[in-house]
Amino acid sequence: MAEITFPLPDLGEGLIEATVLEWLVSPGDQVERNQPLVEVETTKSAVELPSPQAGKVVRIHGGPGDKINVGEPLIVFEVPDNTAGIVGTVPKEEAPKRRVRLSAVLDED
Amino acid sequence: MDTLPSPFSGNDAGQLSGPRSEPLTAGQLRELFSLMVAVRHLDSSAIAWQRQGIIPGYAPELGQEAAQVGSGYAVDTTRDFVFPTYREMGVARAMGVDMVAYMSTHKATWHGGLYDPLQSRLAPIQAVVGGSVLHAVGWAHGQTLDQKDGVAMTYFGDGASSQGDIHEAMNFAAVMKAPVVFFVQNNGWAISVPTERQVAGGSVAARAAGYGMPALRIDGNDVVAVVEATRRAFAHARAGNGPVLIEAMTYRRGPHSTSDDPGRYRSLNEERDDAGEDPLERFRRRLLADGVADEAFFAEALAAAKAEEEHIRAGIQALGSRPGSEMFDLVFQETTLALQAQAANWREESEHV
Amino acid sequence: MSNAILESGAAMADGTPRRGVEQLSMQQALNLALDEVLAANPKALVFGEDCGRLGGVFRVTDGLQAKYGTGRVFDTPLAESGILGMSVGLAMAGFHSIPEVQFDGFAYPAINQIVCQIARMNYRSRGTMPMPITLRVPSFGGIRAPEHHGESLEALFAHVPGLKVVSPSNPHEAYHLLKYAAERPDPVVFMEPKSRYWQKGEVDFDSADPAGSPAGGSPAGAKVMRAGRHLTLVAWGAMVARCLQVAELAAEDGIDIEVLDLRWLKPIDEAALAASVRKTRRAVVVHEAPLTSGLGAEVAQLITQACFDTLKAPVERVTGFDVPYPSGDLEDEYIPNIDRILFGIQRVLEYKRG
Repeated sequence: MAEITFPLPDLGEGLIEATVLEWLVSPGDQVERNQPLVEVETTKSAVELPSPQAGKVVRIHGGPGDKINVGEPLIVFEVPDNTAGIVGTVPKEEAPKRRVRLSAVLDED
Repeated sequence: MDTLPSPFSGNDAGQLSGPRSEPLTAGQLRELFSLMVAVRHLDSSAIAWQRQGIIPGYAPELGQEAAQVGSGYAVDTTRDFVFPTYREMGVARAMGVDMVAYMSTHKATWHGGLYDPLQSRLAPIQAVVGGSVLHAVGWAHGQTLDQKDGVAMTYFGDGASSQGDIHEAMNFAAVMKAPVVFFVQNNGWAISVPTERQVAGGSVAARAAGYGMPALRIDGNDVVAVVEATRRAFAHARAGNGPVLIEAMTYRRGPHSTSDDPGRYRSLNEERDDAGEDPLERFRRRLLADGVADEAFFAEALAAAKAEEEHIRAGIQALGSRPGSEMFDLVFQETTLALQAQAANWREESEHV
Repeated sequence: MSNAILESGAAMADGTPRRGVEQLSMQQALNLALDEVLAANPKALVFGEDCGRLGGVFRVTDGLQAKYGTGRVFDTPLAESGILGMSVGLAMAGFHSIPEVQFDGFAYPAINQIVCQIARMNYRSRGTMPMPITLRVPSFGGIRAPEHHGESLEALFAHVPGLKVVSPSNPHEAYHLLKYAAERPDPVVFMEPKSRYWQKGEVDFDSADPAGSPAGGSPAGAKVMRAGRHLTLVAWGAMVARCLQVAELAAEDGIDIEVLDLRWLKPIDEAALAASVRKTRRAVVVHEAPLTSGLGAEVAQLITQACFDTLKAPVERVTGFDVPYPSGDLEDEYIPNIDRILFGIQRVLEYKRG
C-alpha cells in the first residue's frame, strides 16, 4: 500500500488559507472520486471539497475551526501499490501448494 | 422532441415515417423515474461491492441512466431483441432482466451473465467493443426473411463507432433494409480518449446520411426524449422502412471501470463543466414542476431501490462458482471424444469446483 | 493530479541505457525498455488505445507521451485493425512502429492486417518493404478478467509465415527481449504475460544473460532458468514461474528438474531444446493455451526428432483444455496448476517401454 497526500487547493483567486467547518469523511472510510470530503470556509464562501480520487482515507488534517494553508496536507489516502489494469485483479503470490508426490526409480544410465 | 442543435437531426428526423407515439402517461413517467432511481442506486452500490470484495470489477454507467432506461423502456420484449455491450445495466433493468443473473458477469461467475438471453430478449453481455452490432443486423434480417415484425436494437458507444464492424453493420442494414435501431450512447469518453479524438466530424449520427439512413441526435440525459425517439425509431423500422440511428448525447460521469483512475486524463472541473445536469435530478425537478410526482413518491422510489439492491446483493453473495464441468459441457452441442478425455483427466487430476 | 502520475510511474531513464542491477516489476521494466528504444531510435513510435495520456491500461507506456510528445507516443481511435494497418504504412514510410493491442482478445479484430499484410509485405515486395513492427500484446490469463481479456494466441501467431513471436517470463527478460525485438527488421509479436506485470524481479541491465548462462548472452534463443538432470520442463510466459515452483517441489521428492524458458516461440531454439533433453532424456511441455494444435505439439515433435533414440518416454503435454478461457474462479481449473504438472511429470517418470 502507498499513501497519496491531497493538499488544500487554492479555492479562489489568491486565497492562502481556509478554515475547516466539518469533515464529511473519517479515517478508514472508502471514498469515491467526486465524493464530498470536507466543508471549508474561505474569506469568500463556504465550499465542499470533492475527492480527487477513489481510495481509503488514512488521515485527515485539522478539526472544525482549524485554519489550513493552501498547499498544506488536507487528507491522506491509501492506494494499492500494484494497481490492477483497467480490468481484472493483481494475482496473489502464494506459496506453492501440492497434493501430488512424485515417485520414481531413476536408473542413472 | 428534444434534439440537440445539429445539422443532421432536423432533416433526418423528418425522414422518419409513421405516427408519433402517444405521450407518456403520468404513471409511465413515475415508472421511468423509479427505474432510474433503481439503476442509479444499484450502479453506485456495485462500486461499493467492488470495494468490499464482493465482486472483482464493474463498469459503472453513472450519468447514462436516462439513455439506458429510456431506450430499454421502449423495447417490446414480446417481439424485439436487444444486443448490449458490457455497460448496459440500465437497459437490462428497464427490460425486466433478472438482475442477479445479469450482475453475475461482474462477479466473474460466467462471462456472458447467467440470464437466459432468449427468454429475456437480451443477448449475452458482449465484451468486444462493437462486437454484437452485426449480430443485430443478422437477427433483424431474419425477421424480414420470416416475415415477422420484431426489431433489433443494438448498443454501442462513441469509441466503438471507430471499429470497422460498425461501418459494415450500418451498410448491411441499410442495403438490406433490416429493421435495426442503432442506439449510440455518446458518453464523451472511450476509457481515456475523448470523443473529439475519436469521432472525426464530431457526430456518429452524421454518418447515417452516407448510408441513406435517418438519424436522430438527441439529448441522452432527457429520459422522455429518449423514450420518444426510441419509440419513433422502432415504429419506423417495424413498418419496413429500414434501420434508424439514434445518437444519445450523454456523459460517463464515473470511471471506465472500478480499476480506472479518471484523474489521469480529466479534471474534476472538466467533469463538472462537461457532464451537464444530472439526468436523475433533472427528471425529478420536471416531475415535481409538472405535478406528476411529489416528495413522498421520490422517497418511496428510493426506498424501493434500496430494498431491491439488498435483494440483488444477497443473491450475488450467495452465488458460488460454477462447476468446472461446465467448462467442458458448454463448448459444443455435440461434444468430442478429445474433450471428454480432457474432462476426465481434469476430474482425476485437479477438480476443485 | 500530475503528482499522481509521477508517483505511480515507472522509473524514468534519461534515454541512455541503464547500468547495474535494479529491482523492477515487469511493467516498469517494459516501460524502461520502451523509453530507451524511443530515445535511441528517432523513427520509433508507440501508439494504441489509451497509450498516450493514460499511459496504457497496464501503465506500460506511462510517462512516455510527456517525454517524447504526441507525435511519437499517441492515442489512436478504438480500432485494432486500424492500428495494425496503419503500422504497415508507417513501416513503408520508414518508421518502426511499436503498437499495442490493449488485450490479446482484441488482436482478433486486427487479424486480417496482421496475417495478410504485416506478415507478408516483406515477401510480397521482394524484400524492398520490410515490416519492422513490434506488436505488444498483453497476453494469457490469470487475472480474473472479463471475456477476451485473457487468451493464448501464440500458436495462431506462430503458424503465420512472416511473423516472429516472443514472450518474456520475468522483468529481466522483459527488458532485454523488448529492446532486442524493437531492433529487429521483421515483425515480432511480443506477448506480455499480464499476470506477471506486477511481480518484481532483478533486472541486470548490463547483460541479457548473466555470465555462465548456457544461453550464451544473446536474447535470441531459449534460456535454461534452472539446471537439472532428470527431466526438462519446457514453458514460456507466466508458466515459467509456475514450472520453477514445480521444480522446487520435485526436488523434495529427489527429482532434479531442468526448466527451459523457450522465450522465442518462433523461431523455436531447436538446439537448446535438443541440448537440454539429450541430457535429461525426459520432457514435459507446459502451456496455458488449449491442447489441440497448441505449440506443445510443435515442441514435442522437435524434441522427438532430435532425441528419439535417447528419450525415456514420450513427451508429455500439460496445457489448458480445448475450451474458452473461463471466468473467475474457473480460471484455476483451466490454467495448468502445480498438481497437473506434477502428474504429467509422474507419467513420464513411470513410463515403461514395450
